[in-house]
Amino acid sequence: MATTIATISLTSTDLLSSALAFTSTNPLNTAGSATGITQTSGLARTTTSYSGSGVIESTTLYRSDDATANGANKVYLKNLSTTAAEYYTVFIDEEEMGRLYAGDWAFFPWSATSGTKETFITTIASTWAAGDTWEFDGIEVVAANGTVNDIAAQIDAKHFPNWTTTVSGAAVTFTARHAMDAGTVVTATADVVIDTAGSGTANVSSAAMGTATESDIMIIPSVHTAMTLEHMLFHE
Amino acid sequence: MATTATLTLTSADIAGDPVNVSKTATLTKAGGTSNMDQSTGLNRVHLRETTNVVLLGAVAGGNDLAGKVYIINKATDPTLYITVTINAQIIGKLYAGQWLFMPWSQTDTAADIEIAATNWSSTTGDIPVEYCLFHEDTKILPDA
Repeated sequence: MATTIATISLTSTDLLSSALAFTSTNPLNTAGSATGITQTSGLARTTTSYSGSGVIESTTLYRSDDATANGANKVYLKNLSTTAAEYYTVFIDEEEMGRLYAGDWAFFPWSATSGTKETFITTIASTWAAGDTWEFDGIEVVAANGTVNDIAAQIDAKHFPNWTTTVSGAAVTFTARHAMDAGTVVTATADVVIDTAGSGTANVSSAAMGTATESDIMIIPSVHTAMTLEHMLFHE
Repeated sequence: MATTATLTLTSADIAGDPVNVSKTATLTKAGGTSNMDQSTGLNRVHLRETTNVVLLGAVAGGNDLAGKVYIINKATDPTLYITVTINAQIIGKLYAGQWLFMPWSQTDTAADIEIAATNWSSTTGDIPVEYCLFHEDTKILPDA
């Protein structure tokens, strides 16, 4: 169990007619327990920069998939700019939380409510031969022999950029690495390319569409010129 | 003189090397160096509502400025949490003793900050919540 302590001190001698000074300290524990959070992204920096005439796009800092949904996750952000007018706008999904101006920091809990990941099953069937190829998501598999279970195992052994896989017999189950509602399954099934000398097939036997994530953390800088945000995620 | 917010994050064992982050921000108005000059002061409420209640109501005068919100769950039972929401978007859960300090844009009058004692029951006892808003709004904020 790790021990991580977060402390905030807020002070002012002139904001109110009486001095303001309070400090709160708490350990970062997993949800509903006294057990310390053990995972972190580490302290990181992200620099945003855009061409002068281009649209300033949002940058996703943390995906909901990065942390346990409804966990006691915590996010630290700090705008490292020293130009007072420069700010980052912080969004949770599509909701604007607020603006972090130069030097401002934030520390807040994050529920990381995720969507569901798309899945589909492709089954290697009929007559395949050594040298036949199967291709998807930029990955090509060259059949070592004509046994469908072996070809399925070869597919499962690959590392796909956007999918993870499991195999059972001749059936390979693909699961998207990220939750999204992009209709990728439909595209994916059409994108499978087979080159077989026989009658080999790799039909999709079942598929489930995904649903969009609901709480990715995104930022948008106020200017095109380079700005840097420091950030860190503590998560379950 | 000014209002300052200092964050310290320390851990000797969450990573292979120690984490030691200490940052101080001076709370200023949007886009300049003038000090933030308004605050609700530190408030305390006792929450016993499992659905959202408004803690801080958004006003148009605060739209896209440099407001900052501090909220702490003062419960001592580690299982008791409050869910913090902006305009129906859940930000996260604050468990007993945990706090947040975040910017608040008040993008429209629907962007209230709401809290719910999601797992409260009549047997758990109230959840004390303290909060403070630092802002530069042109209107007085309605309080919860």
